[in-house]
Amino acid sequence: MSILIDENTRVLVQGATGNQARFDMRYCLEYGTRIVAGVTPGRGGETVEGVPVFNTVEAAVRATGANASAIYVPARGVCDAIREALDSGIRMMLSLAENMPRHDAARAVAQVRRAGAHLVGFNTNGLISPGKSKMGGIGGDRTAALYAPGRIGVCSRSGGISAEVCLALTSAGLGTSTCVSMGGDPLVGMRLVEVLRLFEADPETDACVIYGEPGGSHELEVAQALRAGELRKPVVALVVGAFQERYPAGASFGHVAAMIRDPDDSATAKRRLLSAAGVRVAATIDEIPRLLREALGG
Amino acid sequence: MRLLEDAAKAVLRDAGIDVPRGRAAVDAAGAAAAARELAGTDGRVAVKALVAAGRRGKAGAVAVCPAAEAGDAAARLLSMRFEDAPIGQVYVEEAVAIEREFYLSFAFGTLAPRLMVSRFGGVDIETVGHDDPTALVMRDIDPVDGLRPWHAAAAWDAAGVPSPMVPRLAELTVRLYAAWCAADGLMLEVNPLAVSADGALKVVGTMLEIDDNALHRHPAWEAMATETAGPGGRPLTEGERAVAHANRTLPGGATRYIELDGDIGLLVSGGGASLYQHDLILEYGGRPANHTDFSPVPTPDKHVAVLDAIFARPQVRGLLVGSNYLQLARCDLIIEALAIALRKRAVDTSRFPIVIRLFGPMEDEARAIAAQFPGIRYLPGGTSLAQACREIVEAVRALPADTPRSRPR
Repeated sequence: MSILIDENTRVLVQGATGNQARFDMRYCLEYGTRIVAGVTPGRGGETVEGVPVFNTVEAAVRATGANASAIYVPARGVCDAIREALDSGIRMMLSLAENMPRHDAARAVAQVRRAGAHLVGFNTNGLISPGKSKMGGIGGDRTAALYAPGRIGVCSRSGGISAEVCLALTSAGLGTSTCVSMGGDPLVGMRLVEVLRLFEADPETDACVIYGEPGGSHELEVAQALRAGELRKPVVALVVGAFQERYPAGASFGHVAAMIRDPDDSATAKRRLLSAAGVRVAATIDEIPRLLREALGG
Repeated sequence: MRLLEDAAKAVLRDAGIDVPRGRAAVDAAGAAAAARELAGTDGRVAVKALVAAGRRGKAGAVAVCPAAEAGDAAARLLSMRFEDAPIGQVYVEEAVAIEREFYLSFAFGTLAPRLMVSRFGGVDIETVGHDDPTALVMRDIDPVDGLRPWHAAAAWDAAGVPSPMVPRLAELTVRLYAAWCAADGLMLEVNPLAVSADGALKVVGTMLEIDDNALHRHPAWEAMATETAGPGGRPLTEGERAVAHANRTLPGGATRYIELDGDIGLLVSGGGASLYQHDLILEYGGRPANHTDFSPVPTPDKHVAVLDAIFARPQVRGLLVGSNYLQLARCDLIIEALAIALRKRAVDTSRFPIVIRLFGPMEDEARAIAAQFPGIRYLPGGTSLAQACREIVEAVRALPADTPRSRPR
């Protein structure tokens, strides 16, 4: 097993005729993702990378049985794209656009959650269940070298760090069950703790690695769930951005979301919080495999 | 971006909300004229530094005085600096005779907008929440249904305001929420939300931060959105201005570039990896001369602009070019930019350590370009980001003091 996507996931791509979508589709198809349909209004009847394009999500779902959507439409079209996918019964979505207007993001996420659906993003490079399927640009043309199948769940706010962590796991012979780049925007579709709950329920995940940054309360929620005993699998965390504490509050250095608004939002506070909840906190990516082995008693 | 008080109040006034009359002035004469026109029933005005920051009262940047003294008050404010920046304009408005003060704000919580109200206003709200958590009432707002009058009434009721005031406060709160949404606000703070002597509810203190990602819906504000300040509101440095210019005029994603006071130049990328590398440089005892977070670009020009800003500073004694495994950007474009910038500033790479940790598309081509410069260390595939950070810190530390970095021309 794995979480969110596997070899049976039938993916459609909204905005399939755009450059980025075509580029990613080629590598996804090579990797084995079952991309069954593309959607671009006005381009129905064409094909992209051999995949049939439809004018609407509804038509694509009816013709192909697609059950997940990778949304490549630009930020200003994302709200409608998500709504259209929900209306057509899609319950697993990935939205790659970054810099979503916050009110739009909040509305779209609320609709997704009311429908009981999952949305990964915004501002994500995708997710992968190694050896089974991937959605988005994650891994690019060297997916197999970076992401080996295994039993560690990875959830990260940064696509780049996801790649580095999974490479470290691969090099150490550990491997990944599913890696979710949850998105670097301030308001994203899934909470970190929700991804960890999915890993908790996945019999093929033994432990998790999480990557956090200053800003927001994802890590606080994880610490609370750990203390409440809701999460029992070992967690190793990397939390970066401590350097920001040396500079004036309100300065933004990386992801826009990674802004300290409150002392509890700082990397140092989050490391302390997670550590107190039993998480092994890594100082570098290099030591993550060792901490996982310790946690797993191997 | 935070709107200045005049623009923020115009947004609320246009939404039919009762805001004291006021306008901006650039000099003492203008302020005096505005004061004569705007003086309230008691003949007094408020003169405030027109800067995009809160807590101006605390910093002495607000004066409440008789209209006749407004010119002097304005002259004094205009000669001051606020958080290290000169004050270019003042905002003059009618003074409100305040009976009572409340607090209201909208901001984003983890998933939804959040309303915060308190029966204590006009003071530092963090202190209120700290001293008595029950004095601060927070309610998440469903972004699909919006804020309904009974939601707002429940919040004010819980905050302990007198019952007769609840319906009017609720009505105002709903209007403010609608105005905030229409403006694509990230944050709206009304402090104080005043009850005047005649019983009217007035928005006296206001801070409105709007969403830069929604400026396409607000063309009037787009022109105001150029980045004008570094961390803590300090003015941009020459190098930062040069990079901002490149961001505006050259194709591709924007590069973040912030100058700091260390000696190790950073050309690092990745929303997460740039933070990680910065942390580790400090951890290993190095001091970054800048922070960067560069995005993929179709030509080297933008990277050249950033590197040139880095090399232009005499304090910079080494450079780390580091990124997570690239999945989209081309390694060779980045190293080509490095070659151009090194030649432009005649940097002697045998005396100016450069460590490169760049893996991904067109890596072989990138390595070939770097090999033309003696001394550049392009790390072998598989080297970790942490190792790269350690190497640049050690290389710069090993430099004899006063090593010249340029070849004599």
